[in-house]
Amino acid sequence: MYKILILALREYKTAIRTKAFIIGLVITPIFMGGSLFVMAFFQDRVDVDSKEIVVIDHTNMLSSALVEAAEYHNKHEVFDSARGKKTKPEYNLEVVAPDSSDLLAQRLALSERVKNKQLHAFVEIGPDVVFPKNDPEKAKVKYYSENSFMDDIRGWMNWPLNNKIRQLRIAELGLDQQEVKNMFDWVEVSGMGLLTAESIGQGDNDAKESNPIETILIPYVFLMLIFMMIIMSAVPLLTSVMEEKTERIAEVLLGSVTPFQFMMGKVIGSLSVSLTGALIYVVGGILVVNQLDYSSYVPFDLLPWFFVYMLLSVVMFGSIMAALGSACNDSKDAQALQFPAMLPIILPMFVMMPVLREPLGSFATGLSLFPPFTPMLMLVRQATPVSIPMWQPIVGLIGVVLFTILSIWLGSKIFRTMILIQGKKPNLINIIKTAFSKG
Amino acid sequence: MHAIIIDKVTKTFNKFTAVDNLSLTVPRGSIYGFIGPNGSGKTTTIRMIMNIFYPDNGNIEILGEEHIGSSHDNIGYLPEERGLYKKMKVREILQFYGQLRKTSDLNNKIDYWLKKLEISEWADKKIEALSKGMSQKIQFITTIIHEPDIIILDEPFSGLDPVNSEVVKSAILSLKEKGKTVIFSTHDMSMAERMCDYIFMIYKGKKVLDGTLDEIQDKFGTDTIRINAEKASSVLKDITGIDKINDYGQYQEIKLTDGTDSQDVLKQIISKTRVNRFELTRPSLHDIFIRIAKPEAEDINPNQN
Repeated sequence: MYKILILALREYKTAIRTKAFIIGLVITPIFMGGSLFVMAFFQDRVDVDSKEIVVIDHTNMLSSALVEAAEYHNKHEVFDSARGKKTKPEYNLEVVAPDSSDLLAQRLALSERVKNKQLHAFVEIGPDVVFPKNDPEKAKVKYYSENSFMDDIRGWMNWPLNNKIRQLRIAELGLDQQEVKNMFDWVEVSGMGLLTAESIGQGDNDAKESNPIETILIPYVFLMLIFMMIIMSAVPLLTSVMEEKTERIAEVLLGSVTPFQFMMGKVIGSLSVSLTGALIYVVGGILVVNQLDYSSYVPFDLLPWFFVYMLLSVVMFGSIMAALGSACNDSKDAQALQFPAMLPIILPMFVMMPVLREPLGSFATGLSLFPPFTPMLMLVRQATPVSIPMWQPIVGLIGVVLFTILSIWLGSKIFRTMILIQGKKPNLINIIKTAFSKG
Repeated sequence: MHAIIIDKVTKTFNKFTAVDNLSLTVPRGSIYGFIGPNGSGKTTTIRMIMNIFYPDNGNIEILGEEHIGSSHDNIGYLPEERGLYKKMKVREILQFYGQLRKTSDLNNKIDYWLKKLEISEWADKKIEALSKGMSQKIQFITTIIHEPDIIILDEPFSGLDPVNSEVVKSAILSLKEKGKTVIFSTHDMSMAERMCDYIFMIYKGKKVLDGTLDEIQDKFGTDTIRINAEKASSVLKDITGIDKINDYGQYQEIKLTDGTDSQDVLKQIISKTRVNRFELTRPSLHDIFIRIAKPEAEDINPNQN
């Protein structure tokens, strides 16, 4: 054990002294959190040039509503007085009469104007939109533009058109607008958590309303933290072992330590690196959250689970990466093996959303009990507001511990065999055969 | 008690037998030279002594104990293929290897060896800043810093210039004086002749020579003539009774055919040219090596002898 610790200490010192570790520690959360920030920032970067739109209204009853809505929009919604600048485009609507003699030619002419950038779009309101009859084609409102699927103006038209249609239908029935006003009150279904005797005892009258922080953000942060720690500490073992092999450091070390001590020294060094990174993030995160008065959202009860899962997954993947690194002879070999080796680390990221949506579903439960996925997916399920059966994290943990022991055992067999074999191209089948060979 | 006893050891890789039923006894306090062409089994034998490979059959005893699977802190090992962490400083790397073997009084030992190998001023430099020769010397120190009883050096002189070779050679001899057992493999036959108490040659996995230089040379008899004569290379072609000629430029080494009288050969040569030197001798280690290993031993440089 003493030799493993000396090796681990060297690994640890080397890793945390590198610029890559320090930069990674700072850049990674900026990159991950920053992508959300950048998306939010660029969401406002819309085209604010005025949009010229032609309306062909076969009903002769609805275009006025659109024109009024556009005037309201141009007056109240285009200019953000708080920020002192124009944030949205003005909508300039021109109502034209349908050319009943040749409607197709009219559409074609307008399409040409859109192509020539004289118009942004044109809208054709079918004759039976207000009172649909047998021909569904005549009851459509069609929005023609170069990119109509992604065009915000198409969506903006929905409300004024439908509001006007509703008014016209009420008038047709001979009802008073004021009397039937309540008929159109839209009710949202509020998402609530569950009541607990404890919270009622503390004077709460109702359960807490569920919110995106608890439902998405906390599981996401846990998942990202484990992912980052594996990427920062376990994955680099592949190239670091490969370098020790190609630079002929491995055999010098094997004069002083056994292959198992060599591999475990590296894995425990990585474990220390991940622990350092995680502690910096967790302690730093808690301090920031406290400053922002959001400390009630910190799931302190999950932190021990997080650390246990993280440490086990770093050992699990670290052993696998070190074993694969021992089979490589150059960086090309390492690159070829890195992708398949990374798959079990990346896959949980892809299935996060379905797991979050139904944490108790058989898909989420099954995947979270598969040992390579357990650290990330079980933690995601535990971090949601849903209570998952207590046996599942315990069984998951036992599975991870057993799988980690298996990874160390098979990894060390591969490592011992491969570390001194030079010039032989590694392939996964041979590596797996080595792992399960006798001796 | 012997330092190392290798008893009927065999090691195969797939169907290739790298070491075949090898037995060898290395006395304590001796310098034992391992020679043999590339791929003959030297490094595999050394790796088995180091527990890096396990033998398929047979036993290896180190200082009276079987040590399969155990640690080997009492052995210092300098492999043929060797490297150091380039980003570490010289002193850091020596401390690292010293700590791995729980070396007492480590810093003083580091200072002693840096001074002895004339590299004290490089102690705080990174490995990547060192020349190849200096790196070799650092690697040598990492091998012996914990003062092991047995030191195994695989090609310790490769890559060293003559000055540095002498420095390392005197360091090895000083270790022997302290009672350490030294095994080293080499392709430099003259270095083996000068330094080794015993020489062991392995060829195609089998032991072909083992003993002191005298014992080995005695086996081959006095069938060799060293001669320095004018126009020797052209004259010697026409002399009868010569089995083989090694031309070293300054002199020629002649192996006589069995039953040939050296005086007859001398008479023939004198009748054709002027002879400056004529010496009846035993074959050199280099010559013995070539006799056993040729044509596989093409990597041997005759100028080394």
